[in-house]
Amino acid sequence: MNTKRIVPYLLVSPYIIHFAVFVAFPVLFSIFLTFHDWNIIAPMGFTGFSNYVRLFQDKVFFKSLLNTLTFLAIHIPLQIIVALVIAETLNQKIKLRGFFRAAFFMPVIVSGVVVTILWQQLYGFDTGLFNRILIQLGLGKIGWLTDPSIAMPSIALMATWKNVGLYIVLFLVGLQTVPQHYYEAADLEGANHFQKFIKITIPMINPTIFMVVVLSTIGGFSLFIEPYIMTGGGPLNSTISAMLYIYKQGFFYYHMGYAATLGFFFALLILAVVAIQKRYVERDK
Amino acid sequence: MKIFYSYISVIIALLVFSSCSSDGRRNKNELIYWSSNNTEEIEFARYITSEWNKLNPESKVKFQPVPEGQSSEEIILAAVVGKTTPDIYSNMWQGDVEIYAEAGVLVALDTLDGFMAFIVERCDSLTIEEVTSKDGHIYQIPWKINPIMMIYNKKIIEELGLSHPPRTYSEYFETAEKFKKDNDGDGYVDQWFGYSEVLVTWWQRLFDFYPLYLAASAGAPLIKNGKAAFYNEYALKVFNFLRELYKQNYFPKERLSARQDVFLSGVIATRFTGPWEISHAEKFKPKDFEYAFHPMPVPDEHSGPTYTYCDPKNIVIFNTCPDPNKAWQFLKYFLSEENDLKFIETTNQLPRRKKIDENPKFFDYFKKNPGVLEFAHQANYIKGTDAAPVLKEVFDLISQEYEASVIYGVKSPEDALNDAAKAVDLLFLK
Repeated sequence: MNTKRIVPYLLVSPYIIHFAVFVAFPVLFSIFLTFHDWNIIAPMGFTGFSNYVRLFQDKVFFKSLLNTLTFLAIHIPLQIIVALVIAETLNQKIKLRGFFRAAFFMPVIVSGVVVTILWQQLYGFDTGLFNRILIQLGLGKIGWLTDPSIAMPSIALMATWKNVGLYIVLFLVGLQTVPQHYYEAADLEGANHFQKFIKITIPMINPTIFMVVVLSTIGGFSLFIEPYIMTGGGPLNSTISAMLYIYKQGFFYYHMGYAATLGFFFALLILAVVAIQKRYVERDK
Repeated sequence: MKIFYSYISVIIALLVFSSCSSDGRRNKNELIYWSSNNTEEIEFARYITSEWNKLNPESKVKFQPVPEGQSSEEIILAAVVGKTTPDIYSNMWQGDVEIYAEAGVLVALDTLDGFMAFIVERCDSLTIEEVTSKDGHIYQIPWKINPIMMIYNKKIIEELGLSHPPRTYSEYFETAEKFKKDNDGDGYVDQWFGYSEVLVTWWQRLFDFYPLYLAASAGAPLIKNGKAAFYNEYALKVFNFLRELYKQNYFPKERLSARQDVFLSGVIATRFTGPWEISHAEKFKPKDFEYAFHPMPVPDEHSGPTYTYCDPKNIVIFNTCPDPNKAWQFLKYFLSEENDLKFIETTNQLPRRKKIDENPKFFDYFKKNPGVLEFAHQANYIKGTDAAPVLKEVFDLISQEYEASVIYGVKSPEDALNDAAKAVDLLFLK
C-alpha cells in the first residue's frame, strides 16, 4: 500500500533533485549572499543591508542599467522592424526563398564570440570595411567603437544582425497562421499591399510580436559577450552592460556578496519590465 | 516492481560509494608541484622534477602543468576554494599573493629553516622588502621576471636622423611628430609612433601607466600604509605625457591588436613590451628587420637609473602541503644557480636574482642572447607590485580615470588622479 504512494514521488524525484540543486539552492544562496561580504577565499562576513546601500550609491551600476536600456531601445524596435520586413518578403513567392531563409538564420547558429570578432574588424576605424566605404563615398570616418556616443548603437546593430534570423522564423510562423480569406476580402475592397499589412497582418500576428518583444527584452538584458569582447565596457563606460558589470564585480574583484545583490536587483527589474509588457499587451487585447 | 526497486537500490549504492571515495590524488610521500602551462616551462618543470626525483627517490615530486582554464589565476582560486591546491605552485603573480596570505592559505616561508639566509643570498634588500607581506612574513619566493622596456625599430630611428631612440618625453614627442603619417591620403593618420592597448581592463595599465610611473619616480609605490600614494608629480607627468600622445595622434585610439603585427609591419615604430617579444619577433619579422630595446621614456629632468615594472611570477607553498620543509628542500634545489641557468636557457625568461647580468654563470647564455642581456641590465632597476589585497581594484580605478583623462581627454590629469586616489583610499577604509 505504502509502496504505491512512494513510487510517484520516486518518479518525479530526478526533476525535484535537479530543481533543488540547480535552481532553488543557487537562488536562495544568492539571496543569502546579498547580506554578506565574501571574496570566495576568506570566510564570509555578515554585512546586513550594506550591499543594498552600496548598490543605490553606485553610479557605474546605474550607468550600466542606462546603457542596457539604451541598447534595448535601439535593438528591440530595429529587430522587430527588420525581422518583420524580411519575414514578410520571405513569405511571398520569391525566387531562392529557401536559400534566403537559411541564409538569414545562419548568424543565429554562429558563435557569438566569432560574430563579435568579425564585426570588430568591420568596425575598425582605420582598416574596417564600413569606414573604407564611407571614405569611398567621400564621407568622414566614424569611431564605431571608439566614440562614446556611437559605440552602444554599433553594438545594437551587430546584435540585431546576429539575432534577427530567429525572429524572422517566428514571424514567418505567425504570418502563415493568418487566414488567407482576410486578404481576399481586402482585395475585393481594393486595399493595397501596405494597407493589408497594417490592417490585417499586424493585428493578426500581435501575439507573435509580443513574444518577440519579450524574448528580445530578456535577451537584451543579458547583453554580455558583445561589450566584453569588443569594448570591455568602454569607451568611458558607454557600453558597460548590467551583466558585464555584475560579472566584473563577481569574477574580476571577487565581490560575491555585492555581485549577488546586483544580480538579485537586476532579476527583479527584468521581472517587472516583462510583467509590465505582458499587462500592456493583455490590456490591448 | 521488484526490478524497479533493484534499479533504485543500485543507483543509490553507486551514489553513496562514489561520494565516499577517498582522496586518491597523491602518494603519501609525494609532493605535488604545478607549473605554468606554456611549453617551455613545462619542459623545464619536467626536467627539474625528474632530476630531483633521481637524487631524492625517498621524497619524490610529482609535476603537473596548471590545469587549463580561462586563466591560471582562476584555476588557482578554484583550487583554493575546493581545497585541491598543489603543494607548490610556481606561477603566482606577485599582486595576487597578499589576498591569499590574508586568507591564510599560504605557508609563511620565513618560518622555514634557512629561508632567510637563502633569500638574502638570492635577492637584494629592495626585493625582499617588496615581497614581505603586511603581517611581516614572506609567503613567496621571487622566481622569474619579464621587465617592461621600449622596443624600437632601428631602421626607422636611423631614417629619422637619430643616433639613439627617444629617451625623454620631449625627445619622444619630437620623434613621434616626425614619424606620424597619413599614408593613404584619406585625411587620417595611419602610421603612429607607438601603440598601447586602449582597453580599460585593469591589467593593461601594467604595460603603460605603471612602468612609466616607476620610470618617472625611480620606483615609487602606488600604495603606502593602506593609502593611495600615486597622487603625486610623477603620476601627473605620466598622465600628461600619455594624454599628449593620444591628443597629437602619436598613439592610435583604435585597438590594433587584431591586425597583422603592427610593429613588425612598420605601422608603429615603438611599443612597451617584455622579453617575450624577442622570440615572437625572431619568428615573424620580415627580412632585414632590425629591432632593439631601450628603457622606458622618462620626464626631461629625470636623472639616475630608469626603473620599470618586471611582471614578477613567484613560487608559493600552499598550506595543504603535508610537509612544507620537504617542499622547501625541493625549492632550494629548484632555485639553485645551475637550475636558474637551465631555466633561462629553456624559456628565455629571467630568473629574479641580484645582478644576474654580472654573474659569470650566465655569461655564455647572454653572449648568445644579447637581446635578453638588455633585459638583464634592466633587471637591476625593477619593481613588482605593492603588497595589497585589493591591488586589482586599485589598478581598475586608475584605469577608469586613465581612460577618461589620457585617452579621451574629458578630465584633467589632476582631477583624474585625485579622484582615483580618493576612491582607492575608500577601498582601504572598507
